[in-house]
Amino acid sequence: MDSDRRRDSRSWDWDSPQCRARLDEIFFREQDYIQAGSPEHKEFWAFFDRFQRFKTKRDMAGPGASRGEDSGRTGSGKVDLGLPKDYDARYRINVSVCSRDIEERLGKSEHRSRQRSSGPGSQEVSDCRLALLHFLDFSQRQSFGKLAKLRREQKNLPIFQYRDRLVELVRRHPVVVVAGDTGCGKSTQVPQYLLSAGFTQVACTQPRRIACISLAKRVSFESLNQYGSKVGYQIRFETTRTTATKLLFLTEGLLLRQIQQDRTLAQYQVVIVDEVHERHLHCDFLLGVLRSLLADRPDLRLILMSATINIKLFSNYFSSAPVLQVPGRLFPIQVIYQPIPPEEQPSRSEKMDPRPYLRILQGIDQRYPPEERGDLLLFLSGVAEISTIQEACQIYATHTRRWIVLPLHSTLSLVQQDKVFDIAPPGVRKCIISTNIAETSVTIDGVRFVVDSGKVKEMSFDPKAKMQRLQEFWISRASSEQRKGRAGRTGPGVCYRLYAESDYDAFAPYPVPEIHRVALDSLILQMKSMSLGDPLSFVFIDPPPTASIQTAVTYLKDQGALDNRSELTSIGSLLAQLPVDVVIGKMLVLGSLFNLVEPVLTVAAALSVQSPFLRSSQHNPDCATARQPLHSNQGDPFTLLNTFNAWVEVKGERGGGSRKWCRRRGLEEQRLYEMVNLRRQFKDLLKSHSLLESEDSAPSGGDRGQRRERLTERRKLHQLKRDHEQQEGSKRKVLRLEEGQDGEFSSGSDTEETGRKKKDKEGSGQNMDIQEVKFKLRHNVSRLQEAVSISQDLSSRQQALLKLLLCRGLYPQLALPDEHNTTRKDSEQVFHTKNKQGVVIHPTSVFASDPEVLHVPEDDTGEMGPDRKDSSRHQLLAFVTLLETNRPYLSNCVRVPALQALLLVANSVDTNADCTRLVVDGWLELELREPEEALKVLSTALSLRAEWERLLLAQLGQSSAQGVSRKVMEKLSEGLVRFLLYTEVTYSLRRLAAFQTQNLYVGPQPDSELSRTEAPDLSLLFPGAEAKPDPIKGGLRVTSFFTYNCLADSKDLYSECLRTFWTCPNCGLYMPLTPLERMHHEASCRPAGEQQPDEEPESVKSSSSSASSLTRVYHCDVCNEDLNLTSTEILKHKRQHMYTAK
Amino acid sequence: MEQTSESPQKTFTCQLCGLCSPFTYYGQKPPNTRAIVLLEECFVTKDPFSPDKEKFLVLGSTCSLCSKCVCVGSDCSLFYTKRFCMSCVNKHLDQFPRQIQAELAKKKQSSKAAVS
Ligand SMILES: [Zn+2]
Ligand SMILES: [Zn+2]
Repeated sequence: MDSDRRRDSRSWDWDSPQCRARLDEIFFREQDYIQAGSPEHKEFWAFFDRFQRFKTKRDMAGPGASRGEDSGRTGSGKVDLGLPKDYDARYRINVSVCSRDIEERLGKSEHRSRQRSSGPGSQEVSDCRLALLHFLDFSQRQSFGKLAKLRREQKNLPIFQYRDRLVELVRRHPVVVVAGDTGCGKSTQVPQYLLSAGFTQVACTQPRRIACISLAKRVSFESLNQYGSKVGYQIRFETTRTTATKLLFLTEGLLLRQIQQDRTLAQYQVVIVDEVHERHLHCDFLLGVLRSLLADRPDLRLILMSATINIKLFSNYFSSAPVLQVPGRLFPIQVIYQPIPPEEQPSRSEKMDPRPYLRILQGIDQRYPPEERGDLLLFLSGVAEISTIQEACQIYATHTRRWIVLPLHSTLSLVQQDKVFDIAPPGVRKCIISTNIAETSVTIDGVRFVVDSGKVKEMSFDPKAKMQRLQEFWISRASSEQRKGRAGRTGPGVCYRLYAESDYDAFAPYPVPEIHRVALDSLILQMKSMSLGDPLSFVFIDPPPTASIQTAVTYLKDQGALDNRSELTSIGSLLAQLPVDVVIGKMLVLGSLFNLVEPVLTVAAALSVQSPFLRSSQHNPDCATARQPLHSNQGDPFTLLNTFNAWVEVKGERGGGSRKWCRRRGLEEQRLYEMVNLRRQFKDLLKSHSLLESEDSAPSGGDRGQRRERLTERRKLHQLKRDHEQQEGSKRKVLRLEEGQDGEFSSGSDTEETGRKKKDKEGSGQNMDIQEVKFKLRHNVSRLQEAVSISQDLSSRQQALLKLLLCRGLYPQLALPDEHNTTRKDSEQVFHTKNKQGVVIHPTSVFASDPEVLHVPEDDTGEMGPDRKDSSRHQLLAFVTLLETNRPYLSNCVRVPALQALLLVANSVDTNADCTRLVVDGWLELELREPEEALKVLSTALSLRAEWERLLLAQLGQSSAQGVSRKVMEKLSEGLVRFLLYTEVTYSLRRLAAFQTQNLYVGPQPDSELSRTEAPDLSLLFPGAEAKPDPIKGGLRVTSFFTYNCLADSKDLYSECLRTFWTCPNCGLYMPLTPLERMHHEASCRPAGEQQPDEEPESVKSSSSSASSLTRVYHCDVCNEDLNLTSTEILKHKRQHMYTAK
Repeated sequence: MEQTSESPQKTFTCQLCGLCSPFTYYGQKPPNTRAIVLLEECFVTKDPFSPDKEKFLVLGSTCSLCSKCVCVGSDCSLFYTKRFCMSCVNKHLDQFPRQIQAELAKKKQSSKAAVS
């Protein structure tokens, strides 16, 4: 044997890759359990080296150790187990490997000595096989060890004791409430208990998307399913759901949408609603919907899971459903009240005083030795507070070298947010300064100290000002306990409360549920589309204030989503299906009508996600310079559009290089990925509602070779994605002590650094970013580029039209620049909305840095008096949000020409007799100099709007005519653009003062002959509109939005003095007409070529054959006769009666 | 999700420690193991710790003496040419080689130390 070895060693070298490759051909072939090149294969050879070393060491220790002389069968009359005499470790392995290749080489090797020199001999094959057996045994032990550990952990969870009780309750009751605190294991275990008890088709909702993914992963792992088969998740853009899925984690919003499609939720047997105590809007609503659904589904099982907060509320809501209380697993936490002394209390104007916080850091350093690990989590109310305290703590940290200070809030880049999970080096603690995001959404292990400021900033909705407000409040006792609990997750902890115990006692018991704080527009819209009846009588778990429901209904009416009877309109039912704000949904629908779908899709997506522009890089001059070319002074949506387009361009050219491109510009790339996904979803939605033609079905062509190439690439991408999923979250990196210092302040270099480290972590070969992989899997880059190129370099005409669409979508969210802005500093530009005066532009908006574009050009103005500025260039801002923090801010603004935009989108336009004075929506007053011009503008606007409305309804499939022909649509957009760009009318624009709005209207007039005879005339010209005296304003209501001659300064409607001779440019009619008559005529008398009512071919056919297409049947009430007349003839006919009546 | 009820999942339960886990195969030749053969009839599942690939994981088997169902964890059973549950091993400890006896004695001691 020894000689054998010596001889072999001349030609056989275990370390030589060639020799190993020879064995690979025997043991690790394509068809084998382990294949050459796989990770296991690499592991095997590493194991082999260790194994050989071990063997050598043992051999040197001398033989004989394995002699089993003493395994004596010393009688005692027991059973003989028949064990071999000599001990061999091989006997402890329960696997064997044999294939013909191996057997041949082992058996016949003696006779094939010629192979000796070139290939492995029997000795080598046998050595290798033995090593393989040990390797297999080793990996079995390893995996089983993990499984055993997992099962041990599951058993140790507090909820494990209640397993049978839970299943029993669910079997017997339709609704069960499970109440358990952090760490009891309910979210991961309850679904598993149900599955193993035989329940199937289980849905489990989560308030957060990220939780859906991580829970699906965890549960699938724990139940030993292959990921993605029986346990899946479904969120906005992603799903792993298949027909085999038995347990699905999904968001509350998504389940609601499923109920919209599947009224009784027949697809599920069990619905678990997790985290109900968080009281999110969607969750409260979902509970209400489920509650009413239970009557139709007696077999459905509903489980509510909650922290031990206000459990009675939930139980009572479901007719005293049984409650299963599970204790949490928290270590004891010491509470220390340290109220802030008065001299250190933050005053309203000043920054926070950091001293109370620094004292705690010092105290910890004095009391606890650095080798005792444990991090600190500090809760503050907002971002500004965080940066103040962070700055002070950082100075202390730099000095002591015992702390790494990390901020945590949702506007940080994800890379920055992710740092809180990394580990501090020995002797150093993390000091995480967070908003309430760390109270429930983000869970950080290893926290031992919690500092609670007791404050939170919460969004509330002010229905009066139509404004969101971010205000600071004291937290509730429930939140306070939740914050405290964060200190006791991994060991005993300490919670410092920066308020007095008496304050704590005075806190509200629970936080105000979201349904009481926010605008209910989307909720009410969804309720309407689910036919849930009157929202005021819906049984909510905690009904929202009646006023907020009414405000929402009014708002939806303003938006055109509900009609006067509060029923869903066609637009409304479409909007209800779009998972976005009503205003954004409106933009999408409007955009689908014109050739502006691509840019509208992008803008709608951009306005639905958080801004990609990182706040932290705002003050970085390099970022600002790099961003400059992306800016558009048309408005923020255009800047976002440019940014997205440029990013897609970079994606197309450089792929993964986009990450660096984003970093340079201070952009959070994640947001752009969200945009591209959302954009795609919007597109699909529009297609599924036939608002958008499907693209050519030919899958982007290409020859066979190209297709194959694409297929290979996709396969590679899928592999990369799987690899990533495997190694994800495996290792946490150790933070550098300097980490916090560069954090916020020099993000450019810092993120560069992070990028490099991440690359190291991912390993050498895989430089590819997982987001990039997912992006490539989901989107066809070249097609995206095509789509984007359409919206690049928009012509000024397209731009004007796009602005109009945005404005109509955003209406009534309009703001008027203050007339004195020209004399103010850039930072002090003031604006007014209908309901709120004195708002300012958010510093992130392009108009904050470039307010001049909103000013009325000086040379253009004609001063008509001290407070009247005439110009043809007045502009308004349409905005996405009005949010009050320390001041009321407008964000995401776009500027539009005032007169044109108002006439085209406003819900209420009132005029005086000669239409030189317009009041829009009861708050904006426009005075035009020339009655002639005023009439022309108004009548153009009216006919454009009528046509727009008609086409929109046709597009939505509401009119008999199917779809909208391209020609008709182009004509309309041409008309709109001409109106927007070339209306050169001089006017003044101002906000009405409160006293002016009081006596704005003439009010109802005594019935006059004239107005009665006028009525049928109007209905003819504006089909569908019943023109009649307005019962409140007075004057004549011509269309739903236009009331003529109702303003208090109006003169008599038909007073002869208003009649002037006029020649119609189209038909040559020449007669004295009042303004209203002229408008009627103009609206009905189009140039001969246009008059063809081609949109209604049927009605033409059905009308009498003798009638020309220009005439209609008109019933004259005075003659009591049906007449066949053209519009102009009708007008003439009626004028006869009018004169005779006088 | 399909509504059809599949046959209930087969579950392996260790009669000594209670470890519970669904298994997908029982026998000596789990699927996709190629040249590998098990030397005893085992309860096998897909290895959840090497996702994506088709690797197997042996959960346990029956004691060759008392036919108890035991997991492969070292606290519950031992394989030495055959599977023995720990109670049978202890009963017949003298017939096992010295190495194994020593190993078990050592383990007993360390677990005692850990408890006390
Ligand atoms: Zn066991
Ligand atoms: Zn036994």
